[in-house]
Amino acid sequence: MTLADAQAWLRAWARAGQFALMAAAAGFSRSTYTAQTRAVLLKQMYFTAWEVAVGFTLFASLLSLVVVGITINAARVYGLAPYALELVFRVLVLEMLPFGTALFIAIRSGSALSTEVALMHVTGELRRMHAEGLDPFEQEFVPRVVAAALSVLALTVLSCGMAMVLAYVGMYGFSPWGFAEYTHTVARVFSEPALAGLALKCIVFGVVVAVIPIAAGLDATSNVKSAPVAVMGGMVRLVLALGLLEVLSLAVKYV
Amino acid sequence: MEPRFTPIPKNLQFRMGLLLGLTVVVVAVFVIYVLYARGVFEASQRLTLVSDNAEGVGIGMDLTFSGFPVGRVYRIALAEDGRARIDIRVPLKDARWLKQSTIFTMERGIVGSAKLRAITANLQDAPLPDGAERNVLRGDTTEEIPRLVATLRGVLENAEEMTKQGGSIQASLANLRAVSERLAGKSGALAAVLGSEDDARKVIATIDRANALLGSIAGVSKRLDDLLVKTDKRVYGEGGVMDGTQRAVAQANAILGDVKESLKRVDAILADAQVVSANAKSASGDLAALRAEVDVSVRKIGGLVDEINRKWPFERKTEIKLP
Repeated sequence: MTLADAQAWLRAWARAGQFALMAAAAGFSRSTYTAQTRAVLLKQMYFTAWEVAVGFTLFASLLSLVVVGITINAARVYGLAPYALELVFRVLVLEMLPFGTALFIAIRSGSALSTEVALMHVTGELRRMHAEGLDPFEQEFVPRVVAAALSVLALTVLSCGMAMVLAYVGMYGFSPWGFAEYTHTVARVFSEPALAGLALKCIVFGVVVAVIPIAAGLDATSNVKSAPVAVMGGMVRLVLALGLLEVLSLAVKYV
Repeated sequence: MEPRFTPIPKNLQFRMGLLLGLTVVVVAVFVIYVLYARGVFEASQRLTLVSDNAEGVGIGMDLTFSGFPVGRVYRIALAEDGRARIDIRVPLKDARWLKQSTIFTMERGIVGSAKLRAITANLQDAPLPDGAERNVLRGDTTEEIPRLVATLRGVLENAEEMTKQGGSIQASLANLRAVSERLAGKSGALAAVLGSEDDARKVIATIDRANALLGSIAGVSKRLDDLLVKTDKRVYGEGGVMDGTQRAVAQANAILGDVKESLKRVDAILADAQVVSANAKSASGDLAALRAEVDVSVRKIGGLVDEINRKWPFERKTEIKLP
């Protein structure tokens, strides 16, 4: 890796960071939400979340069922059943499902977003928008970032909700008498900092999933061959960023 | 095949509203549930436990009563006196289990964190007031382990000492084997008890000799029997000692009868002598004869008595008083 490569790599990260800050600022501004941006937002959410909601929730349920079963059985074998539910909550609800959802959307929608922006560059659409006095940032990118963040949030909430229900069933079956103990474990695991951390993590994951691919797409030039390179770099940075965020979240909580 | 684009449905806004609404509802329900679970909606009272070591105690940890959580650690702080203060929030509905006399213990197991327990012996006692401060009794499994291991090592060393080559158990087993071999041997249990075949043989020989001795004793006792029969015959039989004695007694009776007769005659003669005192001169010749007769009788009696004494050892006076 030469010095120039390192500089380019750093520049790409810096651009993504700058883009994220701008998107966040625009996302919290009311003026961003016009009828047109709302339409873009809804369309993006439809493709990112609605289309996959049922399939993804089923997949997350299956994964949860297996993880819950393994954890509870192993805990019972080792005589640690009282800790099984807590472990399930911490592993599934706080870590695995938010990270898994973000990764799923990153691969599915992140690559599509990155390619779309790169193609807008290649086809000159961005230049045309600029010429027409339209700001592609506000018109196209911010709604997509907000939509991606909301999609990640919605899918995480749905899959985590399913996992919580399955954890109860896995632990106590359909007996209503486990509720007090279940409630108690919920209270122990989901403290206020844990809840705030989970919410923050979901939002950051959602923003990152849209910001890094769009920023990467903007790296493309009018040359068609620059598009795949830009998309590839964006995807690598995206997965790396998600992994680092997850590690950071774990480190803050447990180290 | 070219990828197919999904047509955007007409009620897009409604669907997205549904999705976002569902998400918001799930989040709201969950947050309310967590707040309820954490006891935000119910009143609680405070309890402070004081311990010299709060190791293993964490915020959010349970205080259990009979295995049920009745309170939760809210805060841990180090007091000015260097002791740990564990603030606990007890929901009012669970506070009824805690009384004035309740004892609080902290136990640390090998697995898991420390456990805070409340033990109430008398449920009729006055309730624990809000803001009460109590000392915690500590029991630590991990502190027990080194002691346990040391004791166990001693036990294992003893066991090793006993079971190793040349150890006492090995020696005992060897002895047991020797004994059982002897038991199975020719002299059986006797050899096992005595320790060797030779000794067992000696004992058997001794028993044999004792048997022979008993045989000869039987002969001796038979001869002794015969002797007794003979003695009986000699003493009590016809012509025996007793027989002789009987005859001597009869003789003695006859002699005594003679003596009685003689004395009667003496009496008569003395009466005659008295009457015929004047004619003493003529009577003196008779007296000399009479005296000689009495002397003979007395000598006879002395001989008879001597004979009786010789034949029968009666303790009696041989003296006969003359009147």
